[in-house]
Amino acid sequence: MKSIPWMKGVTLAAVASLALTGCSGGQPNADPASSNPSTPANAAGQTLTVWIMQGTNPKADDFLADVTSAFKQKTGADLKVELVAWSDAHDRFTTAMAGGTTPDVAETGNTWTPEFAGAGALVPIDDYIKASNLGSDLVKGLTDAGQLDGKQYGMPWYAGVRALMYNTEMFTALNLKPPTTWAEIESAAAAIKAAYPDKIAIAVPGSAEMTVYPWVWGAGGQVASESGGKWKSELDSTASQEGLSFWTGLAAKGYSSASATTWTEANVLESFAAGNIGMALMGSWTPKTIVQKGPEMEGKFAATPIPAKTGGIAPSVLGGSHLSMFSTAKNKDLAWEFMKMMTTGTFAEQWGAQAGYFPGQKSLLEASLKSSDPLVAPFVKQFVDGGGSVPVSPAFGAVQAKKTTVTMMQSILSEKQDVAAASKAAADEMTSVLNAGN
Amino acid sequence: MTESTLKNVGAGQSPAPTGSAPRPAEATSGSPRRGAAQARRRRTSKLIRPWALLAPGLIVIGALLGWPIIKVVLLSFQNYGLRQIVSGTWNFNGGANYADVLGSAQLWQVVLPNTVVFAILAVTATVVLGTLVALLLAKLGPILRGIVSSVIMIAWAMPAVTGTYVWSWIFDADAGIANQLLMSMGWMDQPFNWFTNRFTFYAIVLLNVVHHGFPFVAITVLAAFLGVPREHIEAAEMDGAGPWRVFWLIVIPQLRQVFAIVIILSTIWDFKVFTQVYLMPGGDGANRDVLNLGVWSYTESFGQNKFGYGSTIAVLLTVVLLIVTVIYARTILSQEDGS
Repeated sequence: MKSIPWMKGVTLAAVASLALTGCSGGQPNADPASSNPSTPANAAGQTLTVWIMQGTNPKADDFLADVTSAFKQKTGADLKVELVAWSDAHDRFTTAMAGGTTPDVAETGNTWTPEFAGAGALVPIDDYIKASNLGSDLVKGLTDAGQLDGKQYGMPWYAGVRALMYNTEMFTALNLKPPTTWAEIESAAAAIKAAYPDKIAIAVPGSAEMTVYPWVWGAGGQVASESGGKWKSELDSTASQEGLSFWTGLAAKGYSSASATTWTEANVLESFAAGNIGMALMGSWTPKTIVQKGPEMEGKFAATPIPAKTGGIAPSVLGGSHLSMFSTAKNKDLAWEFMKMMTTGTFAEQWGAQAGYFPGQKSLLEASLKSSDPLVAPFVKQFVDGGGSVPVSPAFGAVQAKKTTVTMMQSILSEKQDVAAASKAAADEMTSVLNAGN
Repeated sequence: MTESTLKNVGAGQSPAPTGSAPRPAEATSGSPRRGAAQARRRRTSKLIRPWALLAPGLIVIGALLGWPIIKVVLLSFQNYGLRQIVSGTWNFNGGANYADVLGSAQLWQVVLPNTVVFAILAVTATVVLGTLVALLLAKLGPILRGIVSSVIMIAWAMPAVTGTYVWSWIFDADAGIANQLLMSMGWMDQPFNWFTNRFTFYAIVLLNVVHHGFPFVAITVLAAFLGVPREHIEAAEMDGAGPWRVFWLIVIPQLRQVFAIVIILSTIWDFKVFTQVYLMPGGDGANRDVLNLGVWSYTESFGQNKFGYGSTIAVLLTVVLLIVTVIYARTILSQEDGS
C-alpha cells in the first residue's frame, strides 16, 4: 500500500526520461501509456548498478555480459556490474552505506541479508514477489533466511549445501560402504586409520563453523531458538553436547590430525584434493575445485548425505546468496526486473550449473533432482531433505564475527576445555550477543 | 587568513630584509619612538612568519588527520552501528563504551599482556638484531655490503601477508618443515600444533615480525654508523680504547637520536601488529588465548558493526601510544641537554 506513491513517481520518472531520450533515440513503442508500471519496458538511458560477489562462478564475465545485453534488450537500461571479493565485501557495503553510495541491487550472503535489512538499508520485496506470482516457487530454507520481522528482503538466488564427501579409492580398497549412521562413520574411520596410518581418516576442522552444526542437529539439538523475541542458544543442551562429543571425539581418538585443530574449510579442501583425507564435510560447490587442485583425484571421490545419529539425514546449513534491493535504488521497478531475471528461469539455471550451486527456484531444482551424478545427487538429497538454517537474526553476523562456535571447537580440539565447559561458554556468549540487539 | 598573514610577512620584510643583521644599525638611526614601533612590527612579523610558512602543511594535516580524529572521538561516545550509518543519526551513550572497554576482563587478562609483552620482546629483538646486522654491514667491503643489504631488503620488501603465510607453512603441524625436522631428529614423536598454544603462537609471530622489521633498523643504524666521524674513533683508539669501549663510549652516544626514532617507530608498529596475528591459524579470534589489541579491537567492534566501541578502543590506543612516545622522547631529549 505504501508502495503506490513512489511507484507512481517511478513511472513519472520513466516517462520523463522517455521524453528526454525519446526524440534523439527514436525508440519504437514509445507510448508511455502502454507500458506496465511493474515492468518498465522503457528505461532507456538509465543505469542500474549491481554488485556481484567474485569467485562463485568461474565464467562470471561471460555470463554477466549475456545478462547485460538481455537486460538492455528487455528494459533499454544499461547494467553496470561490479565484481566484489567476498573477503572485503562486508566492509565495502558498510562504507557504501555510510556514504549513501550503495548499489541498486547486490548479491548479499544469506546471513548478511537480515543484518542489512535490520539496519534499514534494504527494501522489502513482498509486493514484487506477489505480483510476479513467485511466492510458492522459492526454496524454503533460502526464503526463510532472507526474512526479517515477517517481511521478505532477500530474493533467493542460489545456494549450496555441505554433505559428507569421501575418498572412493580408500573406501573401495577397504570394502567400506558410505556410512548411514554415526556408528558406521566411526567404524569406517577406524578402518581407514588402520590401513593408512599417515592419512587423515576424517577431518575435524577447528575453524570451520558450518561443519559443526550438522552434528548438533543430527543428535536432535538446536543452535539457538527464539521465543517471545528472546533468543536462547542451545549449544549446551544434552543433545547438542552429544553431537559435539561425537564429532570432536573422532579427533580425540586420533582419526583427524593435529593441524586440523586450526584448519579452515579451505585447508580441508587442499588436503582432500591431495588425497590425504578419507572423509570430510564439504560443500556441493567444491568438486570442481578439488579436481582443479588435484587432477589425480578425478573420479576418486563421492558424496553422501550427512547421517543423523541413528540413521536418516542430519540437517546441514544452506549456504547461499540473495539478491537484495537497496533503499538507494532510484528506479525500484527496474531493480526488481533485474532481480527477477537473475533469480528465475534460464539465467538462474545457467548460473547454478556454472557455479556448482542449486537455484533458489523450486521448479528449477526439479531438474537437478533427476541427476544421477554421484557428486550431484547426494547433495540434492541433502539440500531438499536436510537443509538447515543458522539462526535468522540480524545479530547472528556478530556471533560469527566473534567466532563463538569456532572458539568452542578449538578449545575442545586442543584439549583446553571439555565439551561440557566449552559448549556452556559458547551458548552463554551466543545468547548474550543474539539478544544484545543493535 | 593565509593571504593576510602572508601580506604581513611581506610588509615586515621590506624595511628590514633580514631578522638579525640590521639590529646594530637600529640603535643609531632615527628617533627612539620610530625605532620602538619598528621593533614591535618586527616582533609581530617574527611571530607570524613561522606560522605563515607552516600554514599550508598545517591546513593539509588538519583536513586529513584532524577532522578524522575529531570524528573518531565523537564516535567513541556513541552506540554507533549499521542502523546509525544508514540513517546518519547520532546516538550518544555517554561514557558507556569507555566503561565497557576498560571493564573488560579479557582486555586486562589476555589482550593487554599479550600486546605489551610481545611489543617489548619484539622491539628489543628487532633493535638488537638490526644493530648487529648494521655492525656487520659496516665491516664489510662495498661488494659484499651490497649483496648482504640487498638480501636484507628482500625480507623488508616482502608483504606482511606473504611473510605470515610462509611462517605458517613452516610451522604447519602435518606438513611443516619445523615439525618434520624435529620428528626426524627424534626430539618429538607426535606432530604438535604450534598455533594452539599462547607461547608457541607468539614465538612464531615474533620470528615473523622481527624478520620483517630488522632490515629497517639495520639500514637506518648503518647510515648513522657511517656518519660517525672517523677521527673520533681514531682518537679514542690512540688513547688506548678497545673496540668494545669505542662502541659504547664513542659510537652509541652519537647514535642516540637514531635509536630514539627507531625504537619509537618499532614500538608503535609492534604495539598495533594485526596482519601477522590475524592471518595465522587460529589468530583471527578463534583462539581467545592469543588475542592481541589489534585483533581484539577488530573482532569486538568492526566485525560486529559496533563502530562506536571500535572508536573508543582507537582513542585509548592513541592515548597510550602518545604517552609512551612523549615519555620516551623527553628522556632522550633531556639526556641530550645533559651531555
